[in-house]
Amino acid sequence: MTEWLEVALRSLGGFVVLFLLSKVFVRKPLGESSLFEFSILGAMAIVVAFGAIQLTIPIVLPITAIVVFGILIFGTSLLSQKNKTFRSFFYGDGVPIIKDGKILEDNMKKQRITTDDLLSRLRSKDVFQYADVEFAVLEGSGELNILTKQEQQPITPQIMKQKVPPIKEPETVIMDGRILHEPLATRGLSHDWLISELKKRDAAVDNVFVAQVDEYGQLSFDLYDDVMQVAAPTELPLLEASLKKVQADLELFALDTENEEAKQKYQWCAEQMNQIYQTVTPYTKE
Amino acid sequence: MTVGSLVHGTLVSLQSIEATLHSLAAKTNDREAKEAFYQSAINTQEVIRQIQTRKGEIEREEPQYQQQ
Repeated sequence: MTEWLEVALRSLGGFVVLFLLSKVFVRKPLGESSLFEFSILGAMAIVVAFGAIQLTIPIVLPITAIVVFGILIFGTSLLSQKNKTFRSFFYGDGVPIIKDGKILEDNMKKQRITTDDLLSRLRSKDVFQYADVEFAVLEGSGELNILTKQEQQPITPQIMKQKVPPIKEPETVIMDGRILHEPLATRGLSHDWLISELKKRDAAVDNVFVAQVDEYGQLSFDLYDDVMQVAAPTELPLLEASLKKVQADLELFALDTENEEAKQKYQWCAEQMNQIYQTVTPYTKE
Repeated sequence: MTVGSLVHGTLVSLQSIEATLHSLAAKTNDREAKEAFYQSAINTQEVIRQIQTRKGEIEREEPQYQQQ
């Protein structure tokens, strides 16, 4: 067998082996794997690469190495799933670095983290002052995760005691000028609806790069032609405005009339409209 | 503009609101939002009924201002 042919065959074999092994690994970004996992990956890649081009090494040797590595990886991942002690032994436990707002110097020393290191890691989490941190933990993967103090956390609707509508994922209904019928159907919308909605805003399907329907059935789309202006969806803002307007009108009528019964009726109606406005606005706010 | 025509304008706005609420209730996917839109549409219907009777009264009181 000529040498180049053998190299080609070995490379092909290595390719297949690596592909099969990648199925064994847990799905996560490479940066998040622990040092241990990362070094095993590196070792295997080197074995495969050497096995492919070093023809002096008999083919069985790299294959044996790969198989043993593969079994070990599979075994550890299986065992660590079942057993907590095993898991912390192999992948390491989280070590608290800051607790109750105080830096734990002993733990830092054990993990060989310098002060500069700690500060720069905090900065990468958008915290420039250690005093803003309530709790920080060094994960087994070497990542530093932090919990900032309550007053430093962004305001959420829950803190403001505000009601917000539940958010639902939008459906993409047009891609590259082609209508996608399945997502349209899951929303219970028809082909004709989409066409008429586009026509309302002066667009043709061929000209639409991407279009999405939000949870209230509002359509937003982007055209291939970037010079053309697309009208924004108006249904919800319009509804809000006309609710306010009608309420104001009714209150005006109530002030205008001298008929006591009619006055009360108008006031009641205005109150109703105000209530409707209150019920609907959480869902119409973008 | 007479009071009658003003009330008529408001009535039309109310009807448009009701229609919008109904179409939103039909289109939205979320159960809670659907409920809110639907209930609001029903409340709007009640208001429409009230304003309609009031409009009738106004027209009877001031027949000289009635539009053809």
